[in-house]
Amino acid sequence: MDFSKILLVLKREYLTRAKSKSFILSTVLTPLVLIAFGALMFWIVSSDTETQKSVGVYDTTGLLVEDFIQADSTRYSDVSNLPVDTVRAMVLRKEIDAYLLLEEKHIETNESSELIYSSNLGLAFTGSVRSDLRQIIQEERLQRANVSDEIKELFSRRPTLNSRKLTEDGKEEDDKAGFMSGVGFVLGLLIFMGLFGYGAVLMRSVIEEKTNRIVEVITSSLKPIELLIGKVAGVCLLGFTQFAIWIVMYVGISLAAVPVAGLLMQDQISEMASSAEMEQVAAEAGFDPASLEVLSIDPMIFVYFFFFFVLGFFMYAALFAAVGSAVDSEQDTQQFMPILMIPLMLAYFLNTRIMVDPDSSLAVFASLFPLTSPINMITRIATTDVPIWQIGTSLVLLIGSFFGVMWVSAKIYRVGILMYGKKASFGDFAKWIRQS
Amino acid sequence: MTVIHVENIKKTFGENKAVNDVSFDVENGRIFGLLGPNGAGKTTTIRMINNILVPDEGSITINGQIASPTTQKMIGYMPEERGLYKKMKVEEQLLYLTQLKGMTRKAAKEAIHYWLERFEASDWIKKEVGELSKGMSQKIQFIATIAHDPDIYIFDEPFSGLDPINSDMLKEIIIELKNNGKTILFSTHRMEQVEQMCDDICLFNKGKAVLQGNLREVKASFGKNTINLEFDGDGSFLDQLEGVRLNNRSTNFAEIRVLNGQNMQDILKLAMEHTEIHKFERIEPSLNEIFISTVGEDNLKAQQQEEA
Repeated sequence: MDFSKILLVLKREYLTRAKSKSFILSTVLTPLVLIAFGALMFWIVSSDTETQKSVGVYDTTGLLVEDFIQADSTRYSDVSNLPVDTVRAMVLRKEIDAYLLLEEKHIETNESSELIYSSNLGLAFTGSVRSDLRQIIQEERLQRANVSDEIKELFSRRPTLNSRKLTEDGKEEDDKAGFMSGVGFVLGLLIFMGLFGYGAVLMRSVIEEKTNRIVEVITSSLKPIELLIGKVAGVCLLGFTQFAIWIVMYVGISLAAVPVAGLLMQDQISEMASSAEMEQVAAEAGFDPASLEVLSIDPMIFVYFFFFFVLGFFMYAALFAAVGSAVDSEQDTQQFMPILMIPLMLAYFLNTRIMVDPDSSLAVFASLFPLTSPINMITRIATTDVPIWQIGTSLVLLIGSFFGVMWVSAKIYRVGILMYGKKASFGDFAKWIRQS
Repeated sequence: MTVIHVENIKKTFGENKAVNDVSFDVENGRIFGLLGPNGAGKTTTIRMINNILVPDEGSITINGQIASPTTQKMIGYMPEERGLYKKMKVEEQLLYLTQLKGMTRKAAKEAIHYWLERFEASDWIKKEVGELSKGMSQKIQFIATIAHDPDIYIFDEPFSGLDPINSDMLKEIIIELKNNGKTILFSTHRMEQVEQMCDDICLFNKGKAVLQGNLREVKASFGKNTINLEFDGDGSFLDQLEGVRLNNRSTNFAEIRVLNGQNMQDILKLAMEHTEIHKFERIEPSLNEIFISTVGEDNLKAQQQEEA
């Protein structure tokens, strides 16, 4: 292995990519796209998706219908006076969207009431009707049991739970599980996108060398494995450059944004100063300095992020390079892409489970298995206290499979880069591995 | 002195014996031609000499050293499948390729500037290769091959795809390199190029070296068994000849290889009966003829049909 040659390859790979228009564009556009995407998601989640639907209440007891109408007079209407058949016909004619059948037994016993509809109402809507129903029937039951107002009041109160974490040194810490599982998911997502995005960059670079017919000129000067390592390291460094630029951009924007936000906040506060709400707003806004601590992230996480990203990238990059070496054009890569896509997509989907349940055996397995661990382990590390032996095992397995994958990929790569005009198959891969 | 020593090398790809027990020596300061039809194993042999492929059996030594990254630096190699990075500037690209061959940046820069000037290409130095014409980028390719000033030059099918100007220029470069004491090995499937340039040859067919040696000696060993005939008139009498092979036939010219030791005077008599003779000359066979008679005509036809 000649490191001066590897360095030359690395330098060329890095410099030509870093100076390219596509790199500059993607560096600028990716954060904008992410912000736009985030804003869109926020809008979708926060927008009032519940459409107005009308429900006829068919109340044979005559006791409940008033409460429903009181709860929401636009949604509920009284159809108790009409014959049931007429009500059913109304539903079919879409004059009302559904009717709710209430009888004495629904109050006395635990039998389910029924909501009859003709076209689907949607989960959010039925859920909302269900909660109205629960409250109204419960009130009626309490009424009948003749309980005092105090007890009624007791029922309407909701106990709350604050979780706090006991740390090693015996102190309690404010729970930041919600925040940290979010951080974990984002870090996992970053690795996922990094492996995919930069892996594809490397693959295109390998294909480019083949289609430009320069690869044989180069392999007459160095070993294919040196070329492969130099290229992978170059693209990896490119990834770090891009991450670094984004971090600088983020910090810069936040620094610039804080005074502006502060100014806006002050305006709002002074506006409200006279109102009685002031105190409450201040409490809700959480100016308690402790709340900032909740948002701080243990720097060790970023150290782990670095290791899992680098190792994961080298492993996947070797696979991407092997695929690139076996084809003549990007279109031909499609038959091989599933080997790369399936474990990566799987790890991504597992992450949505792992962020909420980071200690399940599935999560432990996914964070040890080398094809998914780069993405899943970082999410677990952020979300929960992963035993050090698991992190160690995960890293060892990852390093081991990195060498294994590199060894196999290098063999495919060696043969593949000199093959022209022949569409390779998985069978060819096996032949090439045996042959070299 | 032997510069490239190839001994009993074999290389198999799956079922295909690409190179099957080939040996030859390339001597210092000479031009050595590897000849043979497509698929005869020339490129595989060249790749092994360049340490791009490793032989399954046998050994290759360059200046006494087993083929390795060290011997790679002694060779300037221009592959048949050749190209450059389209998005890189000419100078950066040449610097990269020559530094990979072990040159320092400073020495590489000097050499590149010298050659760019010689090829009247200094104006392109800051241009991307993608912007250059085909002929221009071929010149850059030559520079990439020779700039690190190695002792050995290997060109795989160097004239394929070259325009006539660059083709002549390459010939001049090869002759100049030879005059400077360098050793050159090139492969081709076009025999006439070899006749003009090579000192020694090695003939490949189906993965084997079927004939090798000094070009003049090889030709002489076949004897003056060929007739160079120029005539005026109806050439159809040529079809009546038996026991001959007609190469290079046209309306007033024919190269007649006489087989089975037939009397050449009979052919002359027949020719005189039908046409007016301008020239009748006994010559050594062409390399193409030598190749055909070595490999066997039927063999060759079957092979060509397979390829088609």
